[in-house]
Amino acid sequence: MSENMPVQSNGGVADLEGRWRDIYTYLERPGPLANDGFEPGDQVKEFLHTLKILVIGAGGLGCELLKDLALMGFTDIHVIDMDTIDISNLNRQFLFRASDVGKPKAEVAANFVMKRVPGVKITPYFGKIQDKDEEYYNQFTIIICGLDSVEARRWINATVITMFDEEDPETFKPIIDGGTEGFKGQSRIILPRMSACYECSLDMQTKPTTYPMCTIANTPRLPEHCIEWASVLEWAKEFPDKKLDGDDPEHIKWLLDKASARAKEFNITGVTYTLTQGVVKNIIPAIASTNAIVAASCANEAFKIATNCATAMNNYMMYVGDQGVYTYTFELQKKEDCPVCGGKAIKVEINPAHTLEDLMDLLMDRKDIQLKKPSLRTGTKSLYMRAPRMLEEATRPNLGKQIRELMEDGEEVTVTDETLPISIQMTVRFTE
Amino acid sequence: MIDRRTQKYDRQLRLWHAHGQSALENANVCLLNGSAVGTEILKNLILPAIGSFTVVDGKAVEVADLGNNFFLTQECLGQSRAKCVTQLLNELNEEVEGKFLEEDPTVLIEANPSYFQQYSLIIASQLPTSSLLRLADICWETNIPLVIVRTYGLFGYARIAVREHHIVETHPDQIVDLRLDCPFPVLRDMVQGYDISQLDSMAYGHIPYIILLLMCLEEWKSVHDGKLPLTSTERSQFKDLIRSKQREDVGENQNFEEALAAAYRAWTPTKIPSHIQDILQDSAADNITEHTPTFWVIARAVRDFVTNEGGGYLPLAGTVPDMHADTESYVKLQTIYRTKAREDCAAVKERVKSILVSSGRSQDAVSEEEIERFCKNAAYLKVIRYRSLKEEYEQCTLTGKKIGNWLSDPDDNIVFYVLVRAADLFYERMQRYPGAGIENVDEDISPMRQCVSELLAQWDRPDAAVSDDLILEIVRAGASELHTIAALQGGIVSQEIIKLLTRQYVPLNNTVVFNGIKSGASVYAL
Ligand SMILES: [Zn+2]
Repeated sequence: MSENMPVQSNGGVADLEGRWRDIYTYLERPGPLANDGFEPGDQVKEFLHTLKILVIGAGGLGCELLKDLALMGFTDIHVIDMDTIDISNLNRQFLFRASDVGKPKAEVAANFVMKRVPGVKITPYFGKIQDKDEEYYNQFTIIICGLDSVEARRWINATVITMFDEEDPETFKPIIDGGTEGFKGQSRIILPRMSACYECSLDMQTKPTTYPMCTIANTPRLPEHCIEWASVLEWAKEFPDKKLDGDDPEHIKWLLDKASARAKEFNITGVTYTLTQGVVKNIIPAIASTNAIVAASCANEAFKIATNCATAMNNYMMYVGDQGVYTYTFELQKKEDCPVCGGKAIKVEINPAHTLEDLMDLLMDRKDIQLKKPSLRTGTKSLYMRAPRMLEEATRPNLGKQIRELMEDGEEVTVTDETLPISIQMTVRFTE
Repeated sequence: MIDRRTQKYDRQLRLWHAHGQSALENANVCLLNGSAVGTEILKNLILPAIGSFTVVDGKAVEVADLGNNFFLTQECLGQSRAKCVTQLLNELNEEVEGKFLEEDPTVLIEANPSYFQQYSLIIASQLPTSSLLRLADICWETNIPLVIVRTYGLFGYARIAVREHHIVETHPDQIVDLRLDCPFPVLRDMVQGYDISQLDSMAYGHIPYIILLLMCLEEWKSVHDGKLPLTSTERSQFKDLIRSKQREDVGENQNFEEALAAAYRAWTPTKIPSHIQDILQDSAADNITEHTPTFWVIARAVRDFVTNEGGGYLPLAGTVPDMHADTESYVKLQTIYRTKAREDCAAVKERVKSILVSSGRSQDAVSEEEIERFCKNAAYLKVIRYRSLKEEYEQCTLTGKKIGNWLSDPDDNIVFYVLVRAADLFYERMQRYPGAGIENVDEDISPMRQCVSELLAQWDRPDAAVSDDLILEIVRAGASELHTIAALQGGIVSQEIIKLLTRQYVPLNNTVVFNGIKSGASVYAL
């Protein structure tokens, strides 16, 4: 880990005295709407200028966040992103230019903001959040997420919440999370084990549109059905060893031709290049203005949490801009049996005559936990483990066995899954 | 293949399409004051490729500007803010042309009111009241949309003033126009010719639910004097009728489930919504001249269509939702709806042409695509006539009545609008904002309280209360411009401007207040 550079209150640049006038107006004065414990003066300024803050994602929200934080007096900022710049980013990710296409987002964004705002230090990491361990995440005071993936959010949420040790207040890291889709977006604050976490509200997520396989294969009606047919069925048939790449124009062109031919055969209209790419990549429309709103809201909350100069929002804001301007701010409730922050085991009811495989299906169907490939074990034995291969083979016969052969009524079962960095405790109740 | 521009703007073209994009690219906006919020607005317009912009600002860059404005650097200190922000904004998109004018907007408004006529829209940021009212008059008289934006500490508001804004593509969640209760002849014939007794179980399980509903409704009407199911008893009887058509040999019932879920569409009579009736009957569509906006030309054509060829109905939208069905029946159904929609639209097109010719314009003055979009969206049109700033400020009793009512809820965000207006009053008197540029903030509390009372008295609502805590908080804010609030307000305002310029989606009417402490926005028609 690098040594902290001594940072002066003016952000390290001596001849810019007065630069933070507008922020200091708030930090030097008491106010009736300030948070409990707010102490105006030099100490809070110093704290703001020296604390470490992490931004996850250097895309649409990330670019905005880095700018917003740098101009709110945060001076030690870190940013993680695993992506490189694509041409379709340029309509909103304003720190990138056409000449940057192909370069790592985190590095280009960090350099741009450091050049523009003197005295701010931004440390980029070009890679995955999963590459970093607890020690890395533990150095930050606040973590802000500007991500477009549910998986990554679940991972960071579970990691940061599990890290929190009630004996050690230093391990308490507020997460501020933003997301956008077209003219709509949301921002929220997650205080580990104090307020609802990402996992608590998993069932609020809208799932991407999927089409039934029989429609795709037999009764297509929409251009989307023809595109799915080409990308799901035909591609695998034609190129069994090649992974479909939605960013490769050759691949999209191939799908477009296939889908168009099928559409023609069935008298379906509307298959275009844009639609093909949209369906294959599950493209979500994105514009600069919505990113600006959501990122600014996240940065504003970070500023209030860091300084206490005003109370933070409680705890979720929705923004809807397509029909007028509408926001809805409300307190999202913590779930008692949240597998990540609840501390209580989740309950599952099953007929003991059913098989272990039925139990697995039941778990995968549950919207509030959304597991992909669960492995199960009781306190004493492995029920079904997906890895290593030897163990998988040894436990596979259990899948066909009745539940009552494998466990007692009310027994606790530990569930692990690749979607989560932690395990879930589950109590299995028998129904008769 | 796909060109580079389409790739670059792909994520926004999916929202407003090529015609929205070209409207944006033909727009020319003017920003008064290159403030933090001003440059944030422009950033969000330049990135999606607005045509061009001009920054009018007479100030020199101060050190505090570097603390909240991303489009300034240390080298800019002491130089023209208009010039410096324009230079850095110009780097955002090589397709956009930015210009600047080094002049104090308040002077320009007084000295050269005709200056503003060259623009499609004016953005007034952080402008004092007297200049703002003058500018609002100029824009109102010359029919240029004006967008006002203020940030003030952790709070802010924005206001739109346009004489009239009409929208064809409001983008509802879905367009539904099935005419189940009044099927047009081709649709009725198709259903009557549908012999379901001959279908095998596979085909039976794939009859589109629209056909099921049409068949059941025809049967219902034939034994109920042509009436729709009206009472709740009748409606559940109607659902029973649908259920009675299910066949035991058919494993799948998804189409019947869909029919039952959509049964209400069968008993909801097709009629023109009253707000659409109002638009079609609007006096703006009475006397069409060569200056009448194309929206009203088409509205007039649709009005005439409804009373003639349309038989009392709007032109058919022509869209059919996806449903459980085999390809052939679905496509056949879709073709029937589309063909009828095309016929309706052709009739409207003919009417548009003759209206254009008789009002002295070329018969091609309105594009076919525009008429097609109008017909498709005819049930979802919207016209907003904003209240002018002059009316808001001068019709004090009416404005005060509204504000007083909102103020009766102590948690309502309107109070921040009142406080910023009171701070403006303070500024008019003292030539500085409360709490700004002084050491002893407490000095300003009592005169600020006075400004609030005077404002409430002006509005005829001396009874309305503003909590003292909030007055203290606004004095504490000292007119500071925080970057987060600038960026947030900049985001909101640029989104509204995009909606105004593309004439798609619905812009706010007319003021939005943002509270950066509780984090929420409220909209008021002031
Ligand atoms: Zn939770």
